[in-house]
Amino acid sequence: MSADLNAPAHPTDAPEAPNRTSVPTPREPDSPTALAAPAAVAHASDRGARIAAVAIALAWHVAIALPAVLSARAEFAAPAVVLGAWILVAVTGAVAGVRLLQGSPLPPWPLAGLLLVVDAAVFAAAGERQLFTAANWVWGTLGWFFVLAVWGRRVVGLIALLSTHALIALVAVLVHGPDPADVARYVMYVYGTFSLPVAVFVGSTVIVGLARERAAVSAAGHAMAAERDAAERGLRERRDRLALVSSAAGRVLGDLAGGQADPDDPEVQRRCMLAAARLRRLIAESDDVPDPLLHELRAAADLAERNGLPIDLVTIGTPPPLPVEVRRRLADPLTGTLADARGWARLTVVSGLDEVVVSLVTPDREGPESTGPPLGEHDDGPVQYLYERDGNIRWAQTRWRR
Amino acid sequence: MGADPVAAVTGDRPVGVAIVDDHPVVVEGVRAWLATEPRLTVLATGDDPDAVLRAAPHADVILLDLRLHGRMALDKLAELSAAGRRVVVYSEHTDPQTMLAALDAGAVAFLAKHEGREHCVETVLAAASDRPYVPPALAGAMVGDPRPDRPMLSDKEREALLLWFQSMSKASVARRMQISEHTVKQYVDRARIKYTRAGRPAATKAALLARAIEDGLVRPEEIGIYRSQATHDRPTP
Repeated sequence: MSADLNAPAHPTDAPEAPNRTSVPTPREPDSPTALAAPAAVAHASDRGARIAAVAIALAWHVAIALPAVLSARAEFAAPAVVLGAWILVAVTGAVAGVRLLQGSPLPPWPLAGLLLVVDAAVFAAAGERQLFTAANWVWGTLGWFFVLAVWGRRVVGLIALLSTHALIALVAVLVHGPDPADVARYVMYVYGTFSLPVAVFVGSTVIVGLARERAAVSAAGHAMAAERDAAERGLRERRDRLALVSSAAGRVLGDLAGGQADPDDPEVQRRCMLAAARLRRLIAESDDVPDPLLHELRAAADLAERNGLPIDLVTIGTPPPLPVEVRRRLADPLTGTLADARGWARLTVVSGLDEVVVSLVTPDREGPESTGPPLGEHDDGPVQYLYERDGNIRWAQTRWRR
Repeated sequence: MGADPVAAVTGDRPVGVAIVDDHPVVVEGVRAWLATEPRLTVLATGDDPDAVLRAAPHADVILLDLRLHGRMALDKLAELSAAGRRVVVYSEHTDPQTMLAALDAGAVAFLAKHEGREHCVETVLAAASDRPYVPPALAGAMVGDPRPDRPMLSDKEREALLLWFQSMSKASVARRMQISEHTVKQYVDRARIKYTRAGRPAATKAALLARAIEDGLVRPEEIGIYRSQATHDRPTP
């Protein structure tokens, strides 16, 4: 498919092109493969963001919160609670991070509930003096663990958790006595704890969405290029066949319509028959049958028979699969002779694995070659053509050799 | 063949023909065809081979419709051929397999019903003298023989068979191959003789072969190598 993208675009050449808008609109992917590609891209992009989020949360928890907790442990109201809560969150956070990276996250709301309980407990155990220091580690760390807990969900959940966290902090601040400086600090801290996690959360969601969209657009572009290519190929084939049909029937029909040809003229009748035989064969050519060559010859024989010519079609063996070009070269030269035939005709096909010989014999009669198959023989690629008349029979033979 | 071959075998007596067919109209038609040839006389007709042969025990040639009362009479054909009866099979079943099976079973010749009077008379006359006659339909079956153990035909033999099948005119084949009509007939007959080794052994095949050697059509050593692999029903030597 990728090669198709490099194909030159011919919007005016391809009226059948399914989508003629100049900017390809990303279509709803309809096949499982079309769905899989953008999803894979989005998944890869999302995985990167998860790793970043887990790393931030654990690094903050270990590198910033832990030293502060340890250095200030004597000054907590209940040091054991603060330290125990730190350990609990460290373990839970590690498990949640690993599960998130494996694609099977822990259930978000129990985890969030646990974190909020820890939040309240640490605020209560930190004491007034440590309320706004780094040792009150829930300020800095917990927001990142909220992000891990509700990863992949709507941002409202995260905002609700952070708001609850802010509420718990507000209660702690008020319980310790409303000092204007503390309230100002509190607003600053809440702003700090909100902004970064929400930014990372929203940013990653947007990036994943963009990646998915771009992949979908790209897949749609591929699909469109392939469709256009197929349409152009179909068009080309139809044009080729139309050219063949025109050369078969166009001129005689034009002459008849223009009055240059007299329908009573035997020569004109013969041209009509030839044109009809070619058309019939061309129609048969596009049929999907197990034995196309015989099918096409039968179509020609059928037409001759309906025009009152007793024709004997004898086949020996089954022709191997032959390209349409070879079949045309085998059948076409005989069509002219068949249109000329009077009295009877014997059409035979002898097929082996490496050779197919088609022969048409009709009684010879006075008069020149009207369809003009050249006497003698010539080679047309892998197909040899022989035509002769000896006063007794007219004998056309085409022979394909592998 | 230049001299009258039939006279050599049968003296002045015309060739006696028995016709076995379950369609009276066909029997009458074939009888009428053969009546145009003074060297042929129809001795008996009927739809039962045994009854016909009881009526005409000295018939020189039996014209046998391969499909009698709805079944293929290949077994009967083999039995008659093994007994040395010259059987010309004629049938509307012109698929190559049937034709080749009839040859294997020992038929002297196979004639498609649509092939007409001339081929019919020629075939019966040739059969009476143990000489091969290959009508165009049979030539087609031989040239398209797909069996792996088919006799090896030379290029000329194959081409002569093919062109004869296509044109039904030995004169045209001769012109196309730039050889004489006599040589065309020789190629075709040689190809036919190579088929005498295929299938079951039959007295008729031996007779065909002997006559072919006698006529100088083939040399005995030429025949030996075309051994059919269809030997399952031959007695072990």
